[in-house]
Amino acid sequence: MSEPVIEIVGLRKTFRDFWMRPVAEAVRGIDLSVERGDVFGLLGPNGSGKSTTIKMVLGLLAPSGGTIRLFGQPPRARAARARLGYLPELSYLHPFLTARETIRYYAGLSSLDRRTARARTAELLARVGLESVADRAVGGFSKGMARRVALAAALVSNPELLILDEPTSGLDPIGTRDVKELIRTLAKDGVTVLMTSHLLADTEDVCTKIAILSQGRVAACGRTADLLTRTQDARFTVEGLAEDEARALADELSRRYGKPVAFDHPSVPLEKFFAEAVGAARG
Amino acid sequence: MAESFLLAWRALLRGHVLTALLALTALAHLFLPAVVRSDGTDSGGSELFLRVVPGSVYMVLCVALLACACGLVARARESHRLALTVVRPVSAGAVVLGPLMALVAVAAVVLAFNAGLTCARGGWPDSRHVYVPDLEPPEVAARQMLQEILASTNTSEEVRSTPQHRLLSILIGREADRYEIIRPGGTLELPFPAEAAGASNGVVVRIHFSTRFNLRASLSGEMSFGKWSAAVTNNTQSFLEIPLACAVATSCDPPVVETPKLVFRNTGRSEVMLRPRRDVEVLTPADSFGMNMVRASCEMLCVIAFLCAFGLFLSSALSRPVAIFTALVALTVTEMAPAVLSQCPETLDLPFTDRIGLWLSRGVVFATSAVAAPEPVSDLATGTYVKWADVGRAFLVDAVVAPLALLSLAAFIVRRRASASR
Repeated sequence: MSEPVIEIVGLRKTFRDFWMRPVAEAVRGIDLSVERGDVFGLLGPNGSGKSTTIKMVLGLLAPSGGTIRLFGQPPRARAARARLGYLPELSYLHPFLTARETIRYYAGLSSLDRRTARARTAELLARVGLESVADRAVGGFSKGMARRVALAAALVSNPELLILDEPTSGLDPIGTRDVKELIRTLAKDGVTVLMTSHLLADTEDVCTKIAILSQGRVAACGRTADLLTRTQDARFTVEGLAEDEARALADELSRRYGKPVAFDHPSVPLEKFFAEAVGAARG
Repeated sequence: MAESFLLAWRALLRGHVLTALLALTALAHLFLPAVVRSDGTDSGGSELFLRVVPGSVYMVLCVALLACACGLVARARESHRLALTVVRPVSAGAVVLGPLMALVAVAAVVLAFNAGLTCARGGWPDSRHVYVPDLEPPEVAARQMLQEILASTNTSEEVRSTPQHRLLSILIGREADRYEIIRPGGTLELPFPAEAAGASNGVVVRIHFSTRFNLRASLSGEMSFGKWSAAVTNNTQSFLEIPLACAVATSCDPPVVETPKLVFRNTGRSEVMLRPRRDVEVLTPADSFGMNMVRASCEMLCVIAFLCAFGLFLSSALSRPVAIFTALVALTVTEMAPAVLSQCPETLDLPFTDRIGLWLSRGVVFATSAVAAPEPVSDLATGTYVKWADVGRAFLVDAVVAPLALLSLAAFIVRRRASASR
């Protein structure tokens, strides 16, 4: 088995005041392992320690205890940072730079040579759909457009590990769908994704594994399908079945197995319906 | 580093900092000459213009870029952009060095514009080498005096009970301001460094005589310096510039003299006095005003580089308003401390609270002496030749060593404090 991309063992973080007195215990012993190609969702209510954990993984905060290894190295190691892309919760772009300059700036910080940076910038601008506004200052962008620029900046160095903090925050449903599709594509290409989100539906859609944090501890962790599938129940979908036929089938099953049987009509996800409606309106 | 330089440069350019500074420079050159009034002489007018106009531009540039530097890292941290930068494979040193380079580039553009506008006015006097008497340091004479005072039986108990370092400090101050009295018919000889006699023409003595009781006492004397001499007939109670003429008909090529002496013979009827360490200078021609402006501007740039590094260091550790406040207080204190020391000499009966003020001022002067040594505006205004050696020293201390030390600290802090909030 290959080495985990992120390995967190016994991670703790206690915030202290100026006099070193403990103020808050944000993380109280977390163990996590993220494998290559995973789309790992870090979930939890506000104050559960998600952001603190992400900051420690990024090397922005030093842990009070425990260890974090990125690609087998400490998070502050330059080699580890070279393989990392990060999209923060808010885009935090320099308002006076254009979209192109912003992506080029982060390409430069990631030590990409000029030619590669130029090509990669053009490719990413096309990928996030901002080619037409590439030379406009991002200060005038909508939240969604700024989010796309930030995402492109996170991807500019072709990272092996992508850390996304609320990646769909501020995006419209089509943008959200595109980002989720992008995450799935990246995962297929072998990119490991660690993401946090308050939008559980989005997380469920894209994450192959999830960990739920509560009060600084891991409350649940595992493969999304394993955690959410209720194997003791069964659900059938029969296409083209009328209401009275469905009711008769339910009665038959109930009589046969001696258990209550419920049925409903499947609905299209709103995201899909929205995209279809907008697509149709645009012709 | 290129990326952080480019980012800061674009911020300064698109934030209209450079435009505003260039506009202020142009306005200073347009309007300040109309506001200030000189003493009516050409040299006074030149000196005043140079002190006020390029001096104001330099001062505004120092304060403005210091304030910008104080905001750069702090603002990046507070807006979380610093965190986005340091998670990339980039060193914290590069994160702070880039903005410094951008600030220095802005300063260079404004200083070049300022120098261009100043030189374009024309009519400036050439620069001159300034030599002061080659006397032993006042500390030597002061120590000797202290030994004599302590050995004397007439010394009071109050003096004996005063700590020796304090007595020495008082005596050094007095020795630096000591007056030589030249009686009628008497002469004063002051040794000068050999280079002072190296000029073949245009030697000038800048001197300031005092008389003991009568401010209007007439002055009459003869002055000689190697083969040059002049008669002194006037005393305006201010600095006189006395051009020396060649006393030998054949040639006034520079004589080979190890320690040339300036000799003044008092042929008048009154005693005259002067402070050898403060009141006498020999001036010899150096080079053009333009070249001196270039060197002075280089010194200004070095000082600004240090100030920007200091601002970036504060910015890495403190919030933007606190950093700006701290920087401006530090700048003011550094500028004021030498004036406090020169205006308030130490005396035996100085109250304790005043002595604390003097100690603090001395501490500030000591701590900042290396980086605050260049005085480009003063040198430019007085026509003093700015030595390339001094420019080199300013470059080494103000633009390389001190900024690197400050930026190393700033980088260390940035690495630890990249995240604005917990």
